[in-house]
Amino acid sequence: MVSTATDGAGRASSQAAIPDGQGDLLSIDDLSVDFVSVDGRVRVLDGVSLNVSKGEVVGIVGESGSGKTTLGLGVLGLLDSPPTEIVSGRVVFEGRDLLKLGQEEMAKIRGTGITMVFQEPLDSLNPVYRIQSQIQESIEVKWKRGHSGVSQPSELESKEVMLSLLKDLCIDKPDEVLEQYPHELSGGMRQRVAISMSIIEKPRLLIVDEPTTGLDAYVQNRILGMLSDLRKAGGTLLYITHDLTVASQVCDRLYIMYAGRIMEVGKTRNVLEDSLHPYTHTLIASVPQGYEDSPELPVQLGEPPNLAMLPSGCKFNPRCPYVKEVCRQKEPQLAEVRPGRYAACWKVDGADGEYSRD
Amino acid sequence: MEQMGNTVEIEHLTVSFRSKRRTSLFRGNPRVKALDDVSLAIRERETFGLTGETGSGKSTLAKVLVGLYRPTSGTVKLLGREIDFQNKRDVAYLRQNVGIVLQDPVRSLNPRLTVKEIISEALVASKSVPKSKYNERINFITHLVGVTNDLLTRTPRELSGGQRQRVSLARALVVPKKLLVLDEPTSALDVSIQAQVLNTLKRLKSELDMSYLFITHDVNVIKYVSHRLGVLFYGRLVETGDVHDVASDPKHPYTKKLISNVLTLNQTQLQSEAISEHKPAPTGCRYRLVCESAFDRCAEVPPAVDLGSGRLVSCFLYDGVSPRVGARGA
Repeated sequence: MVSTATDGAGRASSQAAIPDGQGDLLSIDDLSVDFVSVDGRVRVLDGVSLNVSKGEVVGIVGESGSGKTTLGLGVLGLLDSPPTEIVSGRVVFEGRDLLKLGQEEMAKIRGTGITMVFQEPLDSLNPVYRIQSQIQESIEVKWKRGHSGVSQPSELESKEVMLSLLKDLCIDKPDEVLEQYPHELSGGMRQRVAISMSIIEKPRLLIVDEPTTGLDAYVQNRILGMLSDLRKAGGTLLYITHDLTVASQVCDRLYIMYAGRIMEVGKTRNVLEDSLHPYTHTLIASVPQGYEDSPELPVQLGEPPNLAMLPSGCKFNPRCPYVKEVCRQKEPQLAEVRPGRYAACWKVDGADGEYSRD
Repeated sequence: MEQMGNTVEIEHLTVSFRSKRRTSLFRGNPRVKALDDVSLAIRERETFGLTGETGSGKSTLAKVLVGLYRPTSGTVKLLGREIDFQNKRDVAYLRQNVGIVLQDPVRSLNPRLTVKEIISEALVASKSVPKSKYNERINFITHLVGVTNDLLTRTPRELSGGQRQRVSLARALVVPKKLLVLDEPTSALDVSIQAQVLNTLKRLKSELDMSYLFITHDVNVIKYVSHRLGVLFYGRLVETGDVHDVASDPKHPYTKKLISNVLTLNQTQLQSEAISEHKPAPTGCRYRLVCESAFDRCAEVPPAVDLGSGRLVSCFLYDGVSPRVGARGA
């Protein structure tokens, strides 16, 4: 059952770049988040705007320190304060600003509204309970949220639901798996159990954070296949990954992140075939192709960004092969460079002629 | 040394560990074979890629080559000299000539030493380079792997992942080696940093007269770096051959599956077919429980069938006796 929130007020009507789609499910608007510690304040997300429409698979691609996981946690309201502090912005989900909700209301959205699958499934499974009782918990949450008049599913009914779900997730012997403890399962199996717990609640938005990192290619592809089945069934996904190849398989649109900022947005096809931002070039060029006799990979030297010591101007400028004076002085904003294509880069920014004047 | 000799020859190498799980009161714990009858040779100046999934024994092989594990049976020859792993002098000889770079650059560098100390430690330990040459050697190698001078006085925690991995490389190579073992050297790195390290390796290969054993589960990476390729499945080498041949025309059913699951940047058709756990068979061909072409003979251990031009496949489909297409349970 999909229950839509009633109040349509507070819909983001920002002038900030909100590319494609209307963001009728989730729209993040100018979100900035700081980590505060004794050493000072570090900005981990800076003016991030993003939106997701119903039935869409949106990918957030970035390397370590780009803020992609923080973004996911921020949507779920799981950023602890301290150390995190939300400086500005809105996270509008079905018309309601999640940042303004109290803990109790937020808890009601988690699970059936928005759910997240984390990178390390062992962290989200309880080691001392059998798989069955862990999935059971999700079923009970789903039932409690739902629908007066429907009696609580009996143990037998719940088990039926679990078995058919695990079978859908391509698990060979679901009845055996239900009796096992998390440590008895392989990594791929655990991840599928974690995913099953999330989708049994039928969330209206599923956030997955690097669900296939550390799994071998075969298992990874099965999980990706499963996620694309989910999309075909009408599910909405926010897919967080560092791996552009993986993102290219499942996502409709990509947001490329670097140093807490969105660098490029576009349809997956466009971003891959005709990338605008030099950082996206780097990501694409980094995928090894060909054999031993191929030339060196066309990437620049440089280190991942240190958020505590970011350069002035464009944050990618120390690693950018096309850097000019303007890039060191002024930070480019995300702008619609071509119809439906957004990038934060002086080189491709048509409006400001400073790059070409330099 | 003769032309195109072998730097390392491994024959019938088996490494087994005592299992933690006790099955009988009277007998000792059962043994688990991490490597089972593995034979391979790494030629001079060659990069040999070894791939396989988690638990296939890739790292066990790496650790045998630097004397961290002893073989249960089988022989390891380095530059023609057979290594007796009980003999300290032989193990020292092995370590003198084989360098290793491990996956986790954080845990493999001493956090209390500076980069320069970490690198020179290897020189002091080896005793093969005269003291007066230390600085020259350090300069040469740090320049080669791209460790800049300002990094030398820092400690590992002040470095990024890519820089740490370069320091590991410098430490492994500061004493000249014959073989460098790289055990998942880029798996912990971001993709753009991985690309930089792969480029550095490419440069090393043209500069240094050495052989490389590159271990990774990432088939794209292994294709990009190696001349020849070996595929491990639960401790057994199922296929070896020239990397072009294996990647373009895999023979063993497991290699076929591995290669067909390599993702590229282009959208491919993902299937969510029933996934079966890779339970290895306890006897015979380890892959037979999941293999689509398994037939009755697979209950025996398949021999390594030589398909010519250095291509070896451990599978009954290719030994010329059995039918090419066998039906399961026929």
